[in-house]
Amino acid sequence: MVAPPILRVRDLSLHYAAAGGRKVRAVDGVSFEVGRGETLALVGESGCGKTTTGRLLVRLARPDAGSIAFDGAEIAAAEGEALRGYRRRMQLVFQDPGSAFNPRMTVAALVAEPMHLAGVPRAARAARVAELLPMVGLPAEYAGRFPHEFSGGQRQRIGIARALALRPDFVVLDEPVSALDVSVQAQVVNLLVALQQEFGLTYLFISHDLRVVRHVATRVAVMYLGRIVEIGDKAEIYRRPRHPYTRALLAAVPSHRPDVPARLPADLGEVTSADAVPPGCRFHPRCPHAATLCREVDPMPTALGGGHEAACHRVGELAA
Amino acid sequence: MAREPSSRERSATDLPDGSAPGPVPLLSVRNLRVTFRTTRGHFDALHDVSFDIAGGQVLGVVGESGSGKSVMALALMRLLPDDAGRISGGRIAFRGRDLTSIDEAAMRAVRGREIGMIFQDPTTSLNPILTVGHQMREGLRLHLGLGRVAAGRRAEELLGLVRIPSPRTAMGRYPHELSGGMRQRVMIAMAIACDPTLLIADEPTTALDVTTQAGILDLLRDLRRQLGTAIMLITHDLGVVAEFADEVQVMYAGRIVERAPVRRLFAHPAHPYTQGLLHSMPALEEEDPPVLPAIPGMVASPFAMPDGCPFHPRCALAADACRDAVPPLRPAAPGQSAACLRLEAAMAA
Repeated sequence: MVAPPILRVRDLSLHYAAAGGRKVRAVDGVSFEVGRGETLALVGESGCGKTTTGRLLVRLARPDAGSIAFDGAEIAAAEGEALRGYRRRMQLVFQDPGSAFNPRMTVAALVAEPMHLAGVPRAARAARVAELLPMVGLPAEYAGRFPHEFSGGQRQRIGIARALALRPDFVVLDEPVSALDVSVQAQVVNLLVALQQEFGLTYLFISHDLRVVRHVATRVAVMYLGRIVEIGDKAEIYRRPRHPYTRALLAAVPSHRPDVPARLPADLGEVTSADAVPPGCRFHPRCPHAATLCREVDPMPTALGGGHEAACHRVGELAA
Repeated sequence: MAREPSSRERSATDLPDGSAPGPVPLLSVRNLRVTFRTTRGHFDALHDVSFDIAGGQVLGVVGESGSGKSVMALALMRLLPDDAGRISGGRIAFRGRDLTSIDEAAMRAVRGREIGMIFQDPTTSLNPILTVGHQMREGLRLHLGLGRVAAGRRAEELLGLVRIPSPRTAMGRYPHELSGGMRQRVMIAMAIACDPTLLIADEPTTALDVTTQAGILDLLRDLRRQLGTAIMLITHDLGVVAEFADEVQVMYAGRIVERAPVRRLFAHPAHPYTQGLLHSMPALEEEDPPVLPAIPGMVASPFAMPDGCPFHPRCALAADACRDAVPPLRPAAPGQSAACLRLEAAMAA
């Protein structure tokens, strides 16, 4: 079940014009809630709109339509001073923080930058930096070094320290460990989980890696072509996935058990582009269960109990 | 028609770990060393690497950044960037010839004809301003001496073989008009055009979505069955290796630290690094412990390699002797070898 939500999203959309006048429905009517202190994972293939959704929530982009209630306040259309106030409480961590860092800034300056922009006095900034570096597992003597002197894992620790500098409530983590080596990935995952517990953070964890998601998520939302097609508690999604797309995604993850014969998922073909969303259910061209209804009518989410929902006409017929 | 080496042929050189000689391998690498010169000095990206690939075998090569796995692929193809890296020792015996000593013209004939290559990002290997059909025909005319019409027919056939839905339409497309998965299929079609005996695939599915990856792995599995091609599959993804490889070679800091048949490796990893890698991966099928057992620290810089075993600073089992000398690969079980002084302790753990 959902903890009291810190974030309530309703009918969120962002469409934009692509080359040739086609309309890309990047986010196309998305509704969900994020409970305080939980991790909602947003999963799906590239182009499904998960990154755009994350940017909309922290208002780095402005939605065309829909509502974003953050801690009770409507922020979908907020601007200026009001928006800056909310932004301090919502931060974003990118996949490769290295590419976003100014190479001429020291670690201390990078971590202090959000505080500088927010008008935090110099002495308080320095004190906070001294607190943050050990918190993310970086020795204090690294403060004077430059980003290029660090490995990917260390740069991600700097990115996390920067995101936490202003003591946010809500952090969007966009593929935070995808660029890291396997042996370092586990370290950063452990760090994120520990920081969440220590500071009561709420995470939106955007990832294509269903192993990492199983480890970190409280609940999971599966996106396909701008829509959430299934959402529910992690245990439900992994043990009893109900949407054919969720099932296909899970079946496609290579197992670590060479003794188990490969579960060959049905060849789904490739995702259709978000500038050519098919009529009816948007998954129907790739769905092994598609029927006439699926080609004509866009399915609404069906409640399956315990907050589990799937947007599939045939969810009742498909074995749970 | 699978190419099985006949059993009377025997390897001329045993592997340094003393494992029994098998049939003559397709590829036999001995003491391969690659040295990079940089503004900060010289370092060896590959140290005395020795291994074999048998005809028709799929060898998975697993490692993280800095492990030397991609440098190894480039060295085998003699595609190391001239100004930076060079083969500074060792031999690469491929079908009876030493690839380190043949001239560039002979090497060009090997590349593409006898050894095919697939890279992570097909866009770097496809010319953006030529149609898929044009590029494929050129390759076929160059390598196989086919005429224009025959080359076109063969190109279409190859695109069908890699399961591109309408090959004729695809021939008229430019690379950017295809999805990532389709571009990778075109790359595979070009790599197998000359019916190579060995395919080197460097992270062929890393840039792809998991559903697309499943399709490409399925295709490679099928091609291997149909054509009998040996495949060296380089990846950081243990899951890909588990599904696809016959044998696995684990690399760390420019060295092979373990080699084993795939089932053995996943059930009984011998080297502490392999064990650490397997334990640190979150599970898909069950709940993990709340804290993932991570390997502490990180790979040392090639300019500041520790003495002795390169993994010792991160290894829970490290003893004084591990700091003194680089441990050689030695047998751990039939078909399995690992480069660890504390192998017995590691395997008992």
